[in-house]
Amino acid sequence: MTQEQTYLLGEQAVVLDLNCARLDNEQQNRLFALHRHLQKQAGYTDIVVGKTSLTLVLQDPTQGTKWLEALLSLWHALSAEDFQPNTHKIPVIYGGEAGPDLAPLAEQLNLSQQDIVELHSSPTYQVKFLGFLPGFAYLGSVPEQLQVARLSSPRTHVPAGSVAIAEDLSAIYPSASPGGWRLLGNSITRLFDANAQSPSLFQPGDNVKFVPQKEGLC
Amino acid sequence: MLEVIKPGVQMCIQDLGRHGHRHLGVSQSGAMDPMALQIANLLLDNPPNTAVLEITVGLAQLKFTTATNFALTGGDLSARLDDTPLTPGWRYFSKPDQILSFASSSEALRAYLSVEGGFSLKAALDSHSTDIQAGFGGINGSALAAGDQLHYESCIEKSSAGALQPPYHKKIRILPGPHCERLSLTTQQLLCTQQWQVSPDSNRMGMRLSGSELVTHQVSINSQAVLPGTIQLPPNGAPIVLLNDCQTTGGYPMVAQVIAADLRHFAQLSAGDSISFTLVTPAQAYQEIQRQQYHLNQLRIALTHRDRSNS
Repeated sequence: MTQEQTYLLGEQAVVLDLNCARLDNEQQNRLFALHRHLQKQAGYTDIVVGKTSLTLVLQDPTQGTKWLEALLSLWHALSAEDFQPNTHKIPVIYGGEAGPDLAPLAEQLNLSQQDIVELHSSPTYQVKFLGFLPGFAYLGSVPEQLQVARLSSPRTHVPAGSVAIAEDLSAIYPSASPGGWRLLGNSITRLFDANAQSPSLFQPGDNVKFVPQKEGLC
Repeated sequence: MLEVIKPGVQMCIQDLGRHGHRHLGVSQSGAMDPMALQIANLLLDNPPNTAVLEITVGLAQLKFTTATNFALTGGDLSARLDDTPLTPGWRYFSKPDQILSFASSSEALRAYLSVEGGFSLKAALDSHSTDIQAGFGGINGSALAAGDQLHYESCIEKSSAGALQPPYHKKIRILPGPHCERLSLTTQQLLCTQQWQVSPDSNRMGMRLSGSELVTHQVSINSQAVLPGTIQLPPNGAPIVLLNDCQTTGGYPMVAQVIAADLRHFAQLSAGDSISFTLVTPAQAYQEIQRQQYHLNQLRIALTHRDRSNS
């Protein structure tokens, strides 16, 4: 039982906070259903899904109190079945130069590199939310056996396309950036293009399946 | 054409920011002082969201290769057109090949320059703002460099016009944030009882503050949306005021939100400056937004009358 609540963030945003450590599948998909539903409405400039929350940035700050109630009743009215995700298959070259942390991680976890590829590519991940960089999707959840902390010292340069893990999440770096996640492989899939009509391949709630390629470990 | 001779510390193209893409991890960007940007555009009868140049620190030189009216707003970085000193809040005319130069000032950090009709630029994600980290918007997604050229339509001389700009403050008004309860303290106790110093590692993403009494903690929250103006409190107790280029989500407790009308003051704060926070109500925050809108409307009306009576 969660005690979901709504509150104002400053004078221009309204937050629905589900007030729990993590969401179950029903709650998670209901949150995405709410996101999709709100995307068809007017009156806001941005809607941002968080790990256990949704934030609406309003066009007219005087509408805040109205939205405090509206968000809660929409949350109660919607259900997980109202959300139908898209699925993306992402080819990944695992190991070697494409995934420099794969071999050391295998040693640390006392597994073979193939085991790790198998573990990482077996689940269907869900885009929990995007952030950090344009098109950077936080994908959950990594199988428990593969959950490891971030590197103690982050890399100053992680190449674009790097497929990485940290704790219970996986991600693909859409562009080169500094980063502390463990790099298992690389994908050539273009994730973000600022000049495209639909700039981000991944939308909140989408499903993602990693497909090991024969050029790397599989 | 406007040619960059010396870009100084940072010179970049900004408009009122990139909105509607935060759910994809795209930052807002945009002018740190949206009021100064709008005044610069009003002075030239440009649409309010026309992209302008944001000049940081100064120490910069630009050349107008063709004639144009231009407006200068924001902080006073001791600008000169050739040898003539210029006052921020005014529009001026440049003949071909005049040089606009900026010195620097201990009192101000950012100035804004607009040209009549705006620069000719390509939008990325519905905005001309430069997102330097992500590498899009502006020109090639970068800060401007020596040799860069910005195109505009040349135009005939308008008489000089201007007005006093609304002043900048170091007393920042805030609204309470959602996570103070988890720290067992109020926003008032956490932020409003001491002066804060701006740390040197501050930039368009965020302003780090240091103070004499820091509340350290070990509270983390599930990543949720943050906005420009959100004040986060990391475990070391030194608050971070998020600014235009901030990420879209964050996992540090959010202890306050700067009212929208006061975000412009951060455009002029440099390392070592001392600021304080004071709590207000949402009603006061709306009122301040309206006051700014009123100021812009008054200026628009005054300029329209003036330009009509001159023509």
